[in-house]
Amino acid sequence: MASKHKEAAGYDSGSGRFDLDAGQLQALLNEAKRFKGESLWQDAWRRLGRNRGAWWSLVFLTLFVGLSFFAPVLPLPSPMALDPQSEPQPPFLPWEASPRLPENLPPGRSFEFGTGATSSLGAFADNAWRHRTFLDFQLRAEWLPGDPPPGGDELRDLVKAASGRSSAVFVKDGDEPGTVIERHAVPLRDGDRARVEYRPTGFDGTAQVLVVGRDAGAREAWVDFEVDLDRGALESYEVRTSGDGIELVYTLGDEGDQLRDRRYLAEVRGADGITVTRLRIDGERVPLSWSVDGGADPAGLDGQTDAADDLVAALESADQIDLQHLSELQVVSQDGERSIVVRRQAVPAIGQEGHNHADLARAVRAEIASRGSRAALLEMSHLDGIWDLNPLDRALVWVRTKVFGLWQTGPLLGTDNKGRDLLARIVWGSRISIQVSLVATLCSLLIGVTYGAFSGLVGGRTDNLMMRIVDVLYSVPFIFVVIFLITLINEYRTDLADYGIGYMTVFYVVIGAIYWLTMARVVRGQVLSLKNQEFVEAARVLGASTPRILFVHLVPNVLSIVIVYLTLTIPAVMLFEAFLSFLGLGVEPPKVSWGLLAVDGTEAISAVKTFWWVVVFPAMAMGSTLLALNILGDGLRDALDPKLRGKD
Amino acid sequence: MADDQTTIAVHHTKPVLDVRNLGVRFDSHIGAVRAVRDVSFTLEPGETLGIVGESGSGKSVTSLAIMGLLPMPPAVVESGEVLFDGRDLLTLPQRQMRKIRGGALSMIFQDPMTSLNPLLTVGKQLGEVLAIHEGLRGRKARARCAAALDNVGIPNPEQRLAAYPHELSGGMRQRVMIAMGLLCNPKVLIADEPTTALDVTIQAQILELMQRLQAEHGTAIVLITHDLGVVAGMVDRVQVMYAGRVVEKAPADPLFAQPMHPYTRGLLASIPTLEGSPGKRLFSIDGQPPDLADLPPGCSFAPRCTLANERCRESEPPLELAGEGQGVHRRYSACFELDRLLLDSRASLPAPTNSAEEVQR
Amino acid sequence: MLQFLFRRLLWFAITLFSVVTISFFLMRAVRGGPFDNERALHPAIEANLEARYHLDWPVWKQYLQYVGPFNLDHEGLVLFGGDNSNVFGGVLTGDLGPSFKLRDYTVNDIIGQSLPISIALGSVAMAIALTLGLTAGIVSALRRGTALDLGMRLFATVGIALPNFVIAAFLIIIFAFQLELLPVAGWGSPRYLPLPALALGAPFAAYIARLTRTGMLEVLSADYIRTARAKGLPEWLVLLRHAIKGGILPVVSYLGPATAGILTGSLVIERMFAIPGTGSHFVGSALNRDYTLAMGVTILYTVLVYGLNTLVDLAYTLLDPRIELENS
Repeated sequence: MASKHKEAAGYDSGSGRFDLDAGQLQALLNEAKRFKGESLWQDAWRRLGRNRGAWWSLVFLTLFVGLSFFAPVLPLPSPMALDPQSEPQPPFLPWEASPRLPENLPPGRSFEFGTGATSSLGAFADNAWRHRTFLDFQLRAEWLPGDPPPGGDELRDLVKAASGRSSAVFVKDGDEPGTVIERHAVPLRDGDRARVEYRPTGFDGTAQVLVVGRDAGAREAWVDFEVDLDRGALESYEVRTSGDGIELVYTLGDEGDQLRDRRYLAEVRGADGITVTRLRIDGERVPLSWSVDGGADPAGLDGQTDAADDLVAALESADQIDLQHLSELQVVSQDGERSIVVRRQAVPAIGQEGHNHADLARAVRAEIASRGSRAALLEMSHLDGIWDLNPLDRALVWVRTKVFGLWQTGPLLGTDNKGRDLLARIVWGSRISIQVSLVATLCSLLIGVTYGAFSGLVGGRTDNLMMRIVDVLYSVPFIFVVIFLITLINEYRTDLADYGIGYMTVFYVVIGAIYWLTMARVVRGQVLSLKNQEFVEAARVLGASTPRILFVHLVPNVLSIVIVYLTLTIPAVMLFEAFLSFLGLGVEPPKVSWGLLAVDGTEAISAVKTFWWVVVFPAMAMGSTLLALNILGDGLRDALDPKLRGKD
Repeated sequence: MADDQTTIAVHHTKPVLDVRNLGVRFDSHIGAVRAVRDVSFTLEPGETLGIVGESGSGKSVTSLAIMGLLPMPPAVVESGEVLFDGRDLLTLPQRQMRKIRGGALSMIFQDPMTSLNPLLTVGKQLGEVLAIHEGLRGRKARARCAAALDNVGIPNPEQRLAAYPHELSGGMRQRVMIAMGLLCNPKVLIADEPTTALDVTIQAQILELMQRLQAEHGTAIVLITHDLGVVAGMVDRVQVMYAGRVVEKAPADPLFAQPMHPYTRGLLASIPTLEGSPGKRLFSIDGQPPDLADLPPGCSFAPRCTLANERCRESEPPLELAGEGQGVHRRYSACFELDRLLLDSRASLPAPTNSAEEVQR
Repeated sequence: MLQFLFRRLLWFAITLFSVVTISFFLMRAVRGGPFDNERALHPAIEANLEARYHLDWPVWKQYLQYVGPFNLDHEGLVLFGGDNSNVFGGVLTGDLGPSFKLRDYTVNDIIGQSLPISIALGSVAMAIALTLGLTAGIVSALRRGTALDLGMRLFATVGIALPNFVIAAFLIIIFAFQLELLPVAGWGSPRYLPLPALALGAPFAAYIARLTRTGMLEVLSADYIRTARAKGLPEWLVLLRHAIKGGILPVVSYLGPATAGILTGSLVIERMFAIPGTGSHFVGSALNRDYTLAMGVTILYTVLVYGLNTLVDLAYTLLDPRIELENS
């Protein structure tokens, strides 16, 4: 091989000499220059290209990340809403199911739901994913030793008898041996109209308002209105609700005009019906007066302003009052700042075909009693949510409606036990998983590199101590501490939310905070070995400043090893996210991540029927991605290994 | 000294090791690499044979093939037989091969740093040879091991038995390797570059040691090296290998006096000498050894040979009798242009003239 | 050796002190007490409860009370004299205090009941991981490039890439529902052990297999293996005496992280299979705001992991004579 090269370069084997003309010489020189100039990165890239496994992993990951980024463009059903079903549906073939959505979808309004698909597309105009509401009963069944454990069917029959609908069931282990807790999600139908209900709290005649939106259930809902008080004092105000929104109508002193601040139901976070609890004016939270428009005000809420004011006045005199008999309302006043926080407890919602949801609970209880069952109704709540879309995703959704119109695929990979499309959930879940793992890994990178680089650069005793600390942290079972931390942080969620810090942010930081150790060690090792190398010494002798040495000489060399560990940390973080999701500490519904999907999958397995697709497809998505990341990480490690440099 | 040994060798007629037409090929993804082609030699009891060549010339592969230690696959023994005490080692069942290996036929490896197991004590590694071949265990085995260490000049042998390899110096480790090789009084010892990894002073000590032990035990030695300097004082006969083939075969002294292959001549010329005039550059053979997966059709050395002509590039010269030597002094060479070489080298020895002049310019 | 152990002990004390202190103050910093969640407690009852758990004391006093056997009375810390009637146990004496949620139980009671279960599960899982991992790794290295090797590597990579509860789900589907060989969940007889132990051990088995394979391949290509063969050792002896020891060294150093990993994994697996082990108690306590229990388990597992890590380091030095303790 070498000899052929030589001949091409004018090697005269007779004399054993090279006979080159000027042009050839120039070409050779150029080649030599190019070779010398090949940077670490070019070299690594070339070697990565030779590693077939790593190369295909990179291609696969790129495709996958692209796919999940462009998820809103894909004509997939909503990841949150489809026809409620009592059990997962098997995968469909593409041509078997091609539901068409109604033409001329009115924007911004809910309409008669034929399929969940329509509701999801209808929600596009509201810039959020909407999701059919389920009423969730938690039933606890007990059995005596010797008896057969009550199966899902018994309780499902019971719920069906009471509600007239079949429900989706999750079975969980009970709080005590011999018990099982089942969650029955009863779908709410289109006929379940929105209502507004007034409920006396029993305290000074005040009332709490529960607004049940047309397409929403009832969890916790915070609506903040903004009033620009620089323009004048607040003269009067009232809150109005309508089918799809909630509105503050107020007048300011000088202007006299009626001003409106309107919030759409669809944009209400965690909406489930709207519990309007506070109005922020001039940094203070003031209770609202209530007014409900139209005739839909069965309780006559108008004119409750005084009562609320009285409440605040009463509370101002106290530092901290825990209103035992008013469990929904906790009022705290600190240092003159008045605030009212309403904590939602199980509030009876209404809307079940003209029946109060409490009626439904009563019906279930009656059913239990009449059957002599040992089941007990523990709790009743709404399952639902709104999936915020950021402006970019809205634009992508817009593209989707332009390209595909209202066409969407059927459940290609089947559905889960709430009738939600599995493929859509996997694709949308990948966005959250990728986001979590990327951000958390970057957090770990930031901490690890700073710590490691500092330790390595300073050296000496500080370095020794810092590395000792890392050693010590290594032997702490960190995940226990993290779980402990996350539960602690959960207590402060509402406060953090006030500062604009979401749960996910905390999540990223906490995960990042435990994965920095290896990074710190590796970076420190690299910095230490580079620090004493000749080229750095040479630079120092030549009078290069410390930052220059740092950025010109050290950073590029450390970067390679950082990239390798980055690719190897991402899969670890993804697994950890799944782990936390399993424990109920991860991403929260209605959003979905792969971890949550995997958890859903494990919950869907039952002895009666194996819904294999609910377990297999998310596992495949997760497994193949993690596999690709691992292979890529190993490939990068080989490609960037300076010892292997220049070899094939 | 070399003369004495040559006379010893004359008395024996039956060789202890007889390698005939050995051919080994490696199947790799770039194609079949023919590492050893048609190698034959015999070894008389008590004799020392040197196999000399650059790295990649097939000398180590030859030795590993004799020991049955080639990794198969990718290695394939294409042809030939290795007769040891009349039995063909290549066709011998594993079980019997194991009895010979390490017992009557043993081997020393190049790098004493990596050839000893770092996780086991020296005593254990020596002891297992005795356990395997002589069923000797316990105190007796310990005593034998200690004696063997003492024999190779290791002080405090009893204590050294409990030492781990990393606690010993390179020379000491090679001594341990030699002790291990000689533990069962082998008939043949194959030493694959035994001194390459060592300091020059240690090298001399080790070679001296091997000579002394050979005189004591009468072991036949195959000394494999790339260093003709090592061969010079040590061996009876030399066999020069290039690109998997034997290119020259001769008794040691005549070979140094009168190399009969251009490659040998080049090798000799590239040995630094004390007599060379200062400022004169050391001779080196131009070019690289050929790619074994893609051998040129003719003589493998032709591309680097200053004497090569068309014939050399077209057909491969066979290994033939050369010169006037008789009996053990017979010489073989694989070169078409032997006459020109002899003429040429008579004019100016040792350096081939024209290349040396060019180098000087 | 002694110096090494002493230094370890010192760092262990520092670690434990930080864990206890930080988690204690975090716990106390949380708004509201552990009883806030319960409705309509009579003020007298609440006061009683607080007094019982010393929540009415200032925080520093609570901390001293939690940490160790200090003589505390109503004025504060009594260093000398005083009667000893107020000396309470504490973490230093191995007393982790009462559980806030499971009344009438101390944390020690709960751990005492659940730890044997977790240890049984964990050690069986570890045994499975080691047996499967080492066997697969060694076989894979010896049969390098064959279909067997490929299959095992595939299994290993999948095992690494899947969360253990998904593996558990597959195991349940296959062994409990399809084959109906083993119970789905629960604890009590040995029949309950295989599935959770396998699910818990599988990812580690996969990782160990990978480590072993790489380690074995490296060792098998080492010169000293050739030496061993040249001595005439039969292949199994070459493997057993010369190759395996060096080949599994990476596995030994992985045992520390693996132990921590198995403890962590047991949180999920114990919940999944409804096993009343320490892990499920920990998760339950963390979700129920039973801080003393959560802290107790954290402290316990810190001690366990630290102790086992030290043991692993010692074992490593015994296996590899080149490593010296003073340097580590």
